[in-house]
Amino acid sequence: MQVSKNKATNSLLASEKKSLFRFLTLYVLMMMSIIVLISLFYYQNQEKMMFLSKRDMLSDYAYEQIKKLKVLHNTFPAQNTYPRDPRFKSAIYDLEYVKIFSLLESDDIDFNTDMYITYDNKIHFVKTLFEYYLGAKYLFLEIPDDGEWRKEAWENIFIFGGLAIVFFTIVGFYIANLFLNPMRSSLLLLDRFIKDTTHELNTPLSTILANIEMIDKSSIGEDNKKKINRINIAAKTVSQLYQDLTYLTLEHDMHKNDENVETKALIENRVEYFDILAKTKDITFVLDLKKSYIHINRHKWTRVIDNLLSNAIKYNNRKGIIHITLRQNMLTIGDTGIGIEMAKIPFVFDRYIRFNQSEGGFGIGLSIIKKIIEEYNMKIEIKSKPNEGTVVIIKW
Amino acid sequence: MVRIFILLCAMVLSSHAADAYESNCIKCHALLPYSLRDIFMRYLAAYGGENNVKVGLDHYFKYPAKDISVMPIAFLNHYGIDHHSKIKEDELKKAIDIYWKKHKVIGRLK
Repeated sequence: MQVSKNKATNSLLASEKKSLFRFLTLYVLMMMSIIVLISLFYYQNQEKMMFLSKRDMLSDYAYEQIKKLKVLHNTFPAQNTYPRDPRFKSAIYDLEYVKIFSLLESDDIDFNTDMYITYDNKIHFVKTLFEYYLGAKYLFLEIPDDGEWRKEAWENIFIFGGLAIVFFTIVGFYIANLFLNPMRSSLLLLDRFIKDTTHELNTPLSTILANIEMIDKSSIGEDNKKKINRINIAAKTVSQLYQDLTYLTLEHDMHKNDENVETKALIENRVEYFDILAKTKDITFVLDLKKSYIHINRHKWTRVIDNLLSNAIKYNNRKGIIHITLRQNMLTIGDTGIGIEMAKIPFVFDRYIRFNQSEGGFGIGLSIIKKIIEEYNMKIEIKSKPNEGTVVIIKW
Repeated sequence: MVRIFILLCAMVLSSHAADAYESNCIKCHALLPYSLRDIFMRYLAAYGGENNVKVGLDHYFKYPAKDISVMPIAFLNHYGIDHHSKIKEDELKKAIDIYWKKHKVIGRLK
């Protein structure tokens, strides 16, 4: 099914981000390991190529030097000057690895390999003597390593490695998108459905609420009053949901219309609005409110408070308490309900995430709160313990 | 006093060892066309390191044989091989040590 992308679902969910991050981390690690491995092989291969290019020359030098050692062996000690050559430095070691004589500049000596690069960038060529002239079994030849091959190898590693990283990253994103598309499509579909249905809810809902308000409650019997009350609660619940859905699909795109909102009065108003809902579960509000002003869009601030109160009622126990504390720059709403597990707290702001299926709703309330909080650079903190309750703290 | 005693002991021991080398080695080899230095260089070329050379010498003195000798075949055919050494073990060891020190290459190249 073709689903158009809604601006509201443009941003990824935290769980979606987490999946993407995990996949990309694994993918990048694997990719980097492969590139590092290939680079290592390439570097070693380049080193071998360099050795190969110098091996013949050094073998010739060694052959010449051995001939000179043979002459010296036969004339020693009358002649005791070690043979020198301007093209290379050399040293001789006996089979017990004892140095007989050395002109080498590097002291990095390795008897286990026939050619290597020292830590101070000298090429050492090791020739084993079959006849130990002057007692020497190992002849070391040393020439400087100009490092050109290394520079070229690193350049190629960086260029081709970099291109490979870019290429594989693009492929990775493509693959990740393929994986995430089904999930995203489902969310888009749900968004589209909600957007379409909310348009149809407004008129009937407004009519119900307006008519309930207009009913003269003194003229009706107690039994009917209860029924009207239930209708009122049901209508308000639907209204709350409608407001959230409308906000998600339409209003948050509207231009800001910020004003100084007196939060104490607003909370008192919203508590009164939700009181009828709270009473269905014998929930008591405990208010500790001080005058506080905040520069915000009144409707958005109302959405935040409504959703917090709605959740505090929904997830509270029967005969529970809702504590509301308002200070100059802080609002705290705490309930005595079922609470949330620590591990699940980071995901409560994800849209359509509901950890408790016993209560109704779409799981969009906290997602709306988070959006508004972020829009106004406020901070939200959730403290919760299962079976003890949840406290939401908003600071601005 | 103790120092003088130790010094004297060392001198006696070293002169004794030098005697062993000179009386047991130089005396016989003086008659041969290959000098002790030539023979040393042949040992060195064949055995390499200090320990190897010393072990080689020691073994040859105890078990002289044509097939393990470092000397040329013509030399062996003409002069034959030496008899089994009758030098005492420690005396032989000291003589070999002196031989090594006298002719070694390490530390003498420039």
